Amino acid sequence: MTHRLGPMQTLPSPMRKFADHDVVDYCIVGVGSAGGVLVQRLARAGFRVVGLEAGPFWDTEKDWVSDEKGSHELYWNDLRITGGTHPLALGANNSGKGVGGGSVHWAAFAPRFHPSDFRVYTEDGVGADWPMSYWDLKPYYELLEREIPVAGPAWFPWGDPHGHPYGPHPLGGVGDVLVRGCTKLGIRSVAGGPVAILSGSHGDRPHCIYRGFCLQGCKVGAKASTLITHVPDAITHGAEVRAHSMASRISLREDGRVEGVLYLDREGKEHFQRARAVIVSGYAIETPRLLLNSACPGHRHGLANSSGTLGKYLMAQAGNVVAGRFEELIRLYKAPPAHALSEEFYETDPHRGFARGFAVQTVGPLPVAFAKQMTAAMGAWGWGMRRVMMDYNHWATLGVLGEILPWEDNRVELADERDQHGLPVAKVTFNLHDNDKKLIQFGENKVMEIMRAAGAKQVVQESRFAHLVGAVRMGSDPSNSVVDRFGRTHDIPNLFVCDGSILPTQGSANPGLTIQALAARTADYLIKQGDAVFFSNRRDLTEPGIRYDLSPSYTRFKGNPRIA
Amino acid sequence: MTKKSFPFLATGGELNNLEQPGYFSGYSTMAQRKNWEKATRDVITDRLEKVPPIKFFSESEAALMAAVIDRVLPQDDRTEERTIPILPILDERLYKNSLNGFRYEDMPPDRDAYRLAIKAIDEMALGRFQSSFVDLTVHQQELILKSLHNGKPDPENALWCTMPVHRFWAMLMEDCVTAYYSHPWAWDEIGFGGPAYPRGYMRLENGLPEPWEKNEQRYEWNAPVDSVSELAEDDAPPEHESLHGHGGSH
Ligand SMILES: Cc1cc2nc3c(=O)[nH]c(=O)nc-3n(C[C@H](O)[C@H](O)[C@H](O)COP(=O)(O)OP(=O)(O)OC[C@H]3O[C@@H](n4cnc5c(N)ncnc54)[C@H](O)[C@@H]3O)c2cc1C
Ligand code: SF4
Repeated sequence: MTHRLGPMQTLPSPMRKFADHDVVDYCIVGVGSAGGVLVQRLARAGFRVVGLEAGPFWDTEKDWVSDEKGSHELYWNDLRITGGTHPLALGANNSGKGVGGGSVHWAAFAPRFHPSDFRVYTEDGVGADWPMSYWDLKPYYELLEREIPVAGPAWFPWGDPHGHPYGPHPLGGVGDVLVRGCTKLGIRSVAGGPVAILSGSHGDRPHCIYRGFCLQGCKVGAKASTLITHVPDAITHGAEVRAHSMASRISLREDGRVEGVLYLDREGKEHFQRARAVIVSGYAIETPRLLLNSACPGHRHGLANSSGTLGKYLMAQAGNVVAGRFEELIRLYKAPPAHALSEEFYETDPHRGFARGFAVQTVGPLPVAFAKQMTAAMGAWGWGMRRVMMDYNHWATLGVLGEILPWEDNRVELADERDQHGLPVAKVTFNLHDNDKKLIQFGENKVMEIMRAAGAKQVVQESRFAHLVGAVRMGSDPSNSVVDRFGRTHDIPNLFVCDGSILPTQGSANPGLTIQALAARTADYLIKQGDAVFFSNRRDLTEPGIRYDLSPSYTRFKGNPRIA
Repeated sequence: MTKKSFPFLATGGELNNLEQPGYFSGYSTMAQRKNWEKATRDVITDRLEKVPPIKFFSESEAALMAAVIDRVLPQDDRTEERTIPILPILDERLYKNSLNGFRYEDMPPDRDAYRLAIKAIDEMALGRFQSSFVDLTVHQQELILKSLHNGKPDPENALWCTMPVHRFWAMLMEDCVTAYYSHPWAWDEIGFGGPAYPRGYMRLENGLPEPWEKNEQRYEWNAPVDSVSELAEDDAPPEHESLHGHGGSH
């Protein structure tokens, strides 16, 4: 049976298979947003690469459905404990399990971070600076925007103004509300993107059919996920992606370098994959968990934790949903949930009394998600729930996406509970601080104002958080960060981390594009370093220079428009 | 399964045996099934045709939970044959111990939470109305549930000290709305377009219906006059700093 990746693409076969006793060059733990790009780049460059993925290798035709409840398995549903003054909802609210990781169920909003995001401490005296600048990442943003590719306006006015390779999508009902409301209030908005969804076909991927099931995995193959954008190319170039392989521990040799990864297969049987270097790309919760679970003599508090910051400075974004009821019909289930936004409030404005800002974005909850929101936003139950849901087609929903600063007390630790494999699960603690609370209050009010300006007769809101990043942060000072500017741990020269967990701050842009751009840059670095990564303790911190010859097919001849 | 004991007089008339409540008369998602691809068609058809048997709850627990669910997501306006199964879906989740990926540190595991709540609700019924919850009038049942909704169990019950009531309420609501609003009959009721692959949608703006969708035909729909679960203007949910939305949206 052919393994399908969208209606037109099939999984390259046969896939190369390494034996456990083979020493591969790179073992990558987690084939998600970052892991998918890393596997692809390193395989193209000729390295022997294995990607271990805890979840399944999705066949999009057989495994995915156009249905909310039927898509439960896309998420990381295993136990995690959540606490703090503002405990984060996990599971369907943040991370995926299976090849493609979170890029399978993301809404695919693909804005870049702003240049100011990399200098938050310098500019505002809060948060942290990145050990790199926007300009180091810019060429990778442009390249990834062509690879996945991103559709959106030819002129995006915020941050470093730029255009998008594919044209914007037509406006849906919710986007129309966003544009109408913003326009009334004199707020600039853009529509039809930036979103990693095809507005025209791309190689063996058809364009969007506007069915609105993006969060359930796009069967059409129009929405980018590394499962369909990078993993097939990785396999064609000799990588092995081993599904149902849950890494349980990274083990060290006597000389203190990484030797390989212990993992459990579908039956719970333990294997050991030897590797000359290991990259952990397991998401902002599972990455610190694995490093903590790998504690050993010499690394009593977890691998690469000499600074004591492993697991700390975890971030989420404020993700409040504002719902407005209109006299006319909206039918919010049509079109991709992600299709219009405003970044007018992104930067610090001293008049507002708090540092940093937020974005305003469309969201498109399907009936189950919307009913849950109405439980929280209106206290709906019983006949009240039935009534408000009968008006489902009259509601539009907009999201606040607000920056929450990195705080030491927001963290991932190990809980006493264990999972089905007997491994201690993650315990996540999250507290809002003063700046965060002010920012959320302001953002919530502003978006409610936009909703009213658009003509909503009734406006309610649900508080929520989205997009976990941080917890293994990068920095130039080994005493207060875990990895350097290329994701190499300060403590162990052949152990890397590359995923959302290395972000020092996260602005109010959705993190997916940035995570993939960082992965492509780290891959270029590793390729440039060559064998030195495997043997040498020398740490070269110069930018590698971007490689344009390692992109998946169909990237060539695409451009990044620049209008002004 | 539903308990039709209300004086079913709603202000808009009598709420009676409706094949399809809601404002989209004549609209049927299932009528479109031939336009869906196989995997989706199989999942939805199974949902409609194969209702899982009760395996987790004991008989008495199931009876009490059924009564709770009948008030939390009432379906008394629907015909018996068109009642959407909720308890079996909840029971199946608990039987399989299928989690949603996390547990609050101040909550017991989901299975224990439901067992605790069942006990607490029955004790509340006995304490306040000297009768088991299942034997209360609909109004009395609603009063007890409303107090849980408000986060202030009336009467107080020691079991709620072992588990925050607002978290249990949120979980109960989520389980109920997940079962109800994932059912094609509920999609017909609210006018949701349903699965749309490979066909897709073509009329994105202005709330226009696709050729196979229906236009809205509104009429006065009101909950039973004596129900306390109807939305009220001043009935904003109790704010809990520590309680937030669980759904992914962006
Ligand atoms: C509903 C929703 C909507 C979103 N929308 C957007 C959006 O519009 N735009 C955006 O930019 N972002 C969005 N996001 C966020 C985005 O999905 C994540 O930020 C991103 O996928 C994180 O990338 P990552 O590489 O850090 O981890 P992931 O993509 O989650 O990948 C981690 C992978 O590692 C695997 N793994 C973990 N531990 C192990 C282990 N021990 N052994 C083996 N494998 C392991 C996991 O199974 C997973 O596949 C959304 C998220 C959600 C939940
Ligand atoms: S709306 Fe477009 S991108 Fe989203 S799931 Fe449908 S076809 Fe895919």
